[in-house]
Amino acid sequence: MSPFAGRLILIIALAMAAGVIVMLRRLWLPAAAHAVPSIWRIASITVSEARRRRVLQAVIALVALIMISMLFVAYLSPAEQSRMLISGGLSAITVFGILLSIFVAAFLIPQEIQNRTIYPILAKPVRRFEFVLGKYLGALIVLGLMVAVMTGVLVLILLISDHYVQDQPGSVFDPNLAKVVFAAAMSYCALAVLTALIILISTIGSTTMTIISAFIAWALGSLQSTFLDSIQQTTGFAHLVLILFYNVVPKLENFDFRHEVANFMPISVVGAWQAVLHGAGYILVVLILASLFFNDRQV
Amino acid sequence: MQSNGIVLQTEGLTKIYRSVLTPVGVKAVDDLNLAVREGETYSIVGPNGSGKTTTLKILLGLISPSTGTASIFGKSIADISVRERIGFLPEDAYLYDCFSGEELLDFYAKLFGYSTRKRREVIDELLSLVGMQANRRVPFRECSKGMRQRLALAQALVNDPDLLILDEPTSGLDPAGRHQMTRLILELKRRGKTILLCSHFLAEVEEVCDRVGILYTGRLVTEGALSELAGEATQIVITTTGLTETGAERVSQQAGVMNVEDNLVRMSNADTAQLWSVLDSIRQTGGEILEVTRPRPTLQDVFVRTIGEVRE
Repeated sequence: MSPFAGRLILIIALAMAAGVIVMLRRLWLPAAAHAVPSIWRIASITVSEARRRRVLQAVIALVALIMISMLFVAYLSPAEQSRMLISGGLSAITVFGILLSIFVAAFLIPQEIQNRTIYPILAKPVRRFEFVLGKYLGALIVLGLMVAVMTGVLVLILLISDHYVQDQPGSVFDPNLAKVVFAAAMSYCALAVLTALIILISTIGSTTMTIISAFIAWALGSLQSTFLDSIQQTTGFAHLVLILFYNVVPKLENFDFRHEVANFMPISVVGAWQAVLHGAGYILVVLILASLFFNDRQV
Repeated sequence: MQSNGIVLQTEGLTKIYRSVLTPVGVKAVDDLNLAVREGETYSIVGPNGSGKTTTLKILLGLISPSTGTASIFGKSIADISVRERIGFLPEDAYLYDCFSGEELLDFYAKLFGYSTRKRREVIDELLSLVGMQANRRVPFRECSKGMRQRLALAQALVNDPDLLILDEPTSGLDPAGRHQMTRLILELKRRGKTILLCSHFLAEVEEVCDRVGILYTGRLVTEGALSELAGEATQIVITTTGLTETGAERVSQQAGVMNVEDNLVRMSNADTAQLWSVLDSIRQTGGEILEVTRPRPTLQDVFVRTIGEVRE
C-alpha cells in the first residue's frame, strides 16, 4: 500500500470516528433501538411506492431489449462476441443503474417535501435521521432489485448465446458467469455510494441542484485516474483544490471491473475489497452528514 | 400533561423567516403565548399570512422557532415521545397517492409499532368512523376531495391521540363535506380529545370550539370563549312587513334606531322604552311586526371587529 493510500485510509477512519461520535451525541444512543424498525418501515413504503411506478419496469424492458439486440449483431469470433456481450451488458447495467440511482434518489426527499407527504410522517414518532436512512435503504433495495433483474437478463442471454466462450468447458460452476455477476455486484456498490451522495445533496438542495450535482459527481467519480494525473501536474492552489475534489468525490472508477471481466483478465481481490471498504466508509460519513443537515432543515 | 391541566403551551414563541432578499426577516409568529387546556377545543383564527400554519408547524417540529419555547404534555416539542400522543391533520390531505386508504392507514399505524392484529383493528375502526369502509381499497388518487380529507383525518387518529392538531380541516370541501367533517370533529370532542384547530370557516369554528384565539400578523390579538369575546348582545332587530316608505322614514328618526332596510329595523343599545316607542311607531304607520330578536354577535362579527380595531 502506498503512503498516500495509507494516509487516505487514516483520514477516512478519523472522519468516520468523528462522525459517529457527533451522531451519538446529537441523536443519542437509545434512539438506535427505536430507529431500526422505523428505518425499515420508511424503506418499505419507499420500495412499495417505487414498485408502482411504471418507469422502472420500462427501464428493465429497455435494458433487456438492448442486451437481446446485441445477440443479433454481425458475426464475430466467439471470443469477440462474448466480450461484446459481457462488456455491453455490464455497461448497460452500469449506465442505466447510475441513471436510475440519480433519478430515484434525487426525488426521494425533495419530492416528499414538495408534496408535503413528509408532514404526516414527521408528525409521528419518526426521527429525521430515521427518515433519511429509511429513504436511502429504500432506494438501495429498489436499485438492488433492478440490478439483480438486469444481471439475471444478462446471464440468461450469455447462457443461451451459442457463441459464449467458457473458460473451463464442462465445469459445473462457470467462472466467467461468476465474474459477470461479481462485476454487476461491484456496479451496485458504486450505485450505493453515489446514491448516498445524492441523498446528502438532496437534504440541502432542490431536485434540480441534486440532479446536476449527481451527474457531475458521476463524471468526476468515473475519471479518478485522470484526476490523479491532473493533481500531479498542478501546483499551488489548483493542486489543493484538486486534492480536495479527489477526496470528496466518490471513487466510482474503483468499482468498475467491466474491462477485466469482458477480457477474461484476472481480478484484483484486494482492489475490490479496498473499493468496498472505502465505499462503506464514504457512505457512512455521507449519511451521517445527510442526517445532520436534514435534522436542521425547515420543512 | 402539566399539573394545571394545560396540554399545550407556548411562551414567547417567535418565528422569523430570513432570506438573502430579506436579511432582517419577516416575522411569521411574534411572541405567541398560548395555553390549551385538557379536553378543550381551541381554535386559532386569523387572516391569510397571520402565522396560523407556521405555529402548527413549530408545534409539530417541522420547523424550529427563532425564539421562545413550546411544550406539549409538559414536555418540550423536541421530545419525540410527545408525538406518540399527537394526531395531525394537514391543511390538504398530503398522503401518498398510489396507495389505498387501507394501505395508507396500515403504513401510518406501523410507524407506531403496532402489531398486525392491532393494525387491522385500528384500520377497521377508523375507516368506519370516517365512513370509508366501502372505499377502503380505492387508490387515494381516485378519491374525491371529501374522501381524501376523511382519510387524512383517519391517519391523524391512527394512534388514538390525546391531542389533535387540525389545520383547515374543512378546506376545499363542499357544504356536505364540511358538515360531515364538523360532525366528526364534534364526535372526537365528545370522546374527550383536546383539539387545536386552525380554520377560515368561522361558522364551523363557532360550532365546535370552546375558546378562540385571533392571530394577526403573527400576534395573538385576543383570545377567550366566544361569549366573552362577543360580549353582550347590543343589537335589536325587528322584522316587519307592510312598512311604507314614509313609515320607514318616520321609524328611522326614532331614538335608538340605527337603520331601516329591507323591512328590517335595527336598533343599537336601545332600552325598553325606546323599543316600545319604535314598535308603536311601526304599527301607527301601517306596518306589521313579525319578529323581534336580539342576535348575539357571531364569531365573524367579533373577527371583523377585532381585526378592524387592530388595523386602526
